[in-house]
Amino acid sequence: MLKIENLVVNYGYISALRGISLEIEENEIITLIGGNGAGKTTTLMSISNLVKKTAGEIVFNGTDISKMDPDKIVRLGIAHVPEGRNIFKKLTVEENLIIGTITEKNLPRKEIHSRCEEMFTLFPRLKERRKKSGGSLSGGEQQMLAIARGMMLRPKLLMLDEPSLGLAPIIVEEIFELMNRVKQGGMTILLIEQNAMLALEVADRGYVLQNGEIVLSGTGRELLNNPEVKKAYLGI
Amino acid sequence: MYFLEQLINGICQGSIYALMAIGYAVIYGVVGLVTFTYGEIIMMGSFSAFYYFIAFGNNLWMALIAGFITAALVGVVVHKVCYQRFLDAPRYISLICTIGMSMFLKNLATILFGSEMKGMPTFFGGKFISIGTIRVGYLQLIIIAVVIILTVLLTIYLKKTRMGMRLRAVSQDKKAAALVGINVKTTTLIGNCIGCGLGGVAGILLGVYYNSVLPTMGGMAGLKAFSAMVLGGLGSIVGSAISGVIIGVVENLGIALTSSGLRDVFAFVLLVLILFIRPQGLFGKKGN
Repeated sequence: MLKIENLVVNYGYISALRGISLEIEENEIITLIGGNGAGKTTTLMSISNLVKKTAGEIVFNGTDISKMDPDKIVRLGIAHVPEGRNIFKKLTVEENLIIGTITEKNLPRKEIHSRCEEMFTLFPRLKERRKKSGGSLSGGEQQMLAIARGMMLRPKLLMLDEPSLGLAPIIVEEIFELMNRVKQGGMTILLIEQNAMLALEVADRGYVLQNGEIVLSGTGRELLNNPEVKKAYLGI
Repeated sequence: MYFLEQLINGICQGSIYALMAIGYAVIYGVVGLVTFTYGEIIMMGSFSAFYYFIAFGNNLWMALIAGFITAALVGVVVHKVCYQRFLDAPRYISLICTIGMSMFLKNLATILFGSEMKGMPTFFGGKFISIGTIRVGYLQLIIIAVVIILTVLLTIYLKKTRMGMRLRAVSQDKKAAALVGINVKTTTLIGNCIGCGLGGVAGILLGVYYNSVLPTMGGMAGLKAFSAMVLGGLGSIVGSAISGVIIGVVENLGIALTSSGLRDVFAFVLLVLILFIRPQGLFGKKGN
């Protein structure tokens, strides 16, 4: 579904990615794990074309998206839920959801409404706060809103950047449970996590990034049992 | 009675400032930068009406539309020259570029239109309504009405349409806007044009109210618009509108107490005083 080949990204003199290649199949949960500065977020930003690529190619369902405008990439069905939950603080919760469908020009109001209701069933907490401004939500609620906004698009590929960052364990569990449900609905997920244990448990396959290079890859279970991964990322 | 008339005068002038400030706030929102070209946009709008009156007769409504379009087109040029080319450059480059653009437009106008002051036609024959001993000019009422109508239209546009939602999204967070599939470049261009168009209309109202246009009128007008926007809390539309009226009223009451030479002193002393007490502006939130 998505294929990255030999992707190189430099920030000035610092190289963030030194030629990574990876592949995502339909209806998989793929996770990228690795320490700070390994290049996880940069990989997602490159897929959304929010950073300049030095070299490499990204192909999504047969279309080369390496040089496409960010908004056109979203239109192809790639939703990116960024780290730090870039929600619109001055828009209400409901408006934040509606804006997730802004690429679909002729979507009838009824359909938008039913998608909102769907999100409210997934995240009942958002329903209670639908008329409140995004900025008034708690961190966990903002994260839910960011994910829900991404899902309003009915994306083919949902990219989540550190969804558990700074959240209470109960909410983290909720979000990971949700991922499984979403996968059953036919969506493909690319997940970045610092919490490697949790990520590998939910993922079909994973890649381990280190200093901008992929050093290991395998199924979630394989990586969980890999002694190096255990030592470096799981703290066992 | 003199004071009451000055108050009405202040409200009228203040509503012109309000319109200028609203346009400025829209630009500041989508572009994310202060612009120094705004005064010249106001001037260009005013001149477009001056020539419209000469060419097609004294139809104020059509001139307002023509002024909006002219100013919006100048806005496109400003966008292409000052913003679009420097998207990846440090932000201050665009800022400095607007200073250059402002000088360029001012001098271009002087060459094209001449440096002398030109008279605008008088509308409504200087008629007025008398309430007791107070006189309220038709023109004053029309100006206030135009400003209110445009403010309401803009609010509806921003709150109720999909394009308006895009503009608000881009104003709040450009990265997030791109990630939900909004074309940030086009949206910024449209927002910039709307802001400039409103400035152009305000310029016409200013010219008609004072019966004069001048290539250098933009400097002070742009500063007043900027002051009103800052006073209202950067980028807040409601705040800008109310602050514009406040500045107009304070100016004119101040003049009534002292002399008209001190007009601008009142506006800017007010700005400094309020920012001293409330650095976030009258309606801004702390930390924004």
